[in-house]
Amino acid sequence: MRALNIAATGMLAQQLNVEVISNNIANLNTTAYKRQRAEFQDLLYENQRRVGADSSDNGNIIPVGVQVGSGVKAAAVYRITTQGSLTNTNNSLDLAIQGRGFFQITMPDGSTAYTRAGSFQLSPTGEIVTADGYVVQPGITLPNNTTAVTVNASGQVLATIAGQTNPQNVGQLQLANFPNEAGLEALGGNYLVETAASGAATTGNPGSTAFGQIQQGYLETSNVDIVSEITNLITAQRAYEMNSKALQTADQMSQTLSQVQ
Amino acid sequence: MNDPSTIVLSSQVALLRMTDMLANNLSNLSTNGFKGQEMLFEEYLGEASDGKQASYVQDIGTARDLREGPITQTNNPLDVAIQGSGYLVVQTPLGPRYTRDGHFQIDAQGQIVTSQGYAVQSDANTPIVIPDGTRKITIGKDGSVVTADGAIAGKLQLVDFADDQKLLPVGSNLFSSDQTPQPASANTTVAQGALEGSNVEPVLEITRLIAANRALTYNHDFTNAEATRVSNAIDHLGKTV
Repeated sequence: MRALNIAATGMLAQQLNVEVISNNIANLNTTAYKRQRAEFQDLLYENQRRVGADSSDNGNIIPVGVQVGSGVKAAAVYRITTQGSLTNTNNSLDLAIQGRGFFQITMPDGSTAYTRAGSFQLSPTGEIVTADGYVVQPGITLPNNTTAVTVNASGQVLATIAGQTNPQNVGQLQLANFPNEAGLEALGGNYLVETAASGAATTGNPGSTAFGQIQQGYLETSNVDIVSEITNLITAQRAYEMNSKALQTADQMSQTLSQVQ
Repeated sequence: MNDPSTIVLSSQVALLRMTDMLANNLSNLSTNGFKGQEMLFEEYLGEASDGKQASYVQDIGTARDLREGPITQTNNPLDVAIQGSGYLVVQTPLGPRYTRDGHFQIDAQGQIVTSQGYAVQSDANTPIVIPDGTRKITIGKDGSVVTADGAIAGKLQLVDFADDQKLLPVGSNLFSSDQTPQPASANTTVAQGALEGSNVEPVLEITRLIAANRALTYNHDFTNAEATRVSNAIDHLGKTV
């Protein structure tokens, strides 16, 4: 009975679907979270009668064959990289990217990770760091007696220092872009890393061609749409039930067969 | 002598195969561009032991339900749904394959590819390459892929076949064909930011599943009754001798 295994592949697929949807709902309030979607594909088919084969010596051919599929598999769980909306926080180190690009972060092991979650802080030495204390490249340190900091749309960091009238340019934030953003690997903690699928990063100043602009005092919210997630959840649950029904029926049929006298 | 049992057996074999097919339809409820299958049964006349003809059943073929699946909005710029009859062309190591699953991505070289990394073909039979640094991709109704500055990166190739039923499903939402693809009609368009869902209707499939289950039970009851009849016959005929 192939049907038992086929129905099981369907149930596994819907289970993955529910896992992806619940992760989206869990990250409803995660800064710059990109919602994910599971994509499915059918498995191989067994040609029990090949379509187009001869059915007689006179060249009559079979118009339709018997092709029995073997179920479903998960093809991809991909991130939908649409822009999340911006919320005003009035915090001078909250930076949102409007458009394409990622902030570059130096991880503790020296490698570079990428994030769009721009809720930055200051380290004890005055350096701009992420909420985990990782340095935001290129490593901008604010002078000790800074009273205010301004980050403009093109990523220049300007510090107003006590006793000086003109703000001082203390650094330039750069963004990274990838040919295939969906190919980045998620590390958790809102960090992503480059992979062979994402392609190599190209860096540039915010606001230049192909790079988004920086909005100071704003954060990018998650792009999860709760209504569509709940709808998807209901659909996934029903599909799971349907597959379990198929499993039950296949079980009953094999039970019937085992009772033949 | 065994005719009644073998006739019932022909039905049981067909019903089990139909159950496998129904389970496959149901397991692909969430598969993009999936086309449900239907089993076609045919009467098969075989010679019975008494020289007369007995009617067997044969599952002669599986037909694909070619109706369009529901279109769902994903807002992903690289998702396309085909509206109307036609297929997109994907270049695989085994040759061109055809699909209605328009969930695409860009690979590290900037090519538009499927989830397996196979390049989607343009109408010039080449991969479509999105230049690095493109901010926004627009895909027109006719399948032309336009980047933000108005440059056309390529046009998605839409093809159609004289007989869709002859396409062979090869898994991964792809079909292969021996037929020469024709350009799709002008009425076939693509919608960006949307995907075509599976056209399987769960209510119908469950109903068919129940019907197959019941039919198998009736067959089973018949087989048992027939076994009783034969054994009774042997008992009674044996006694009279």
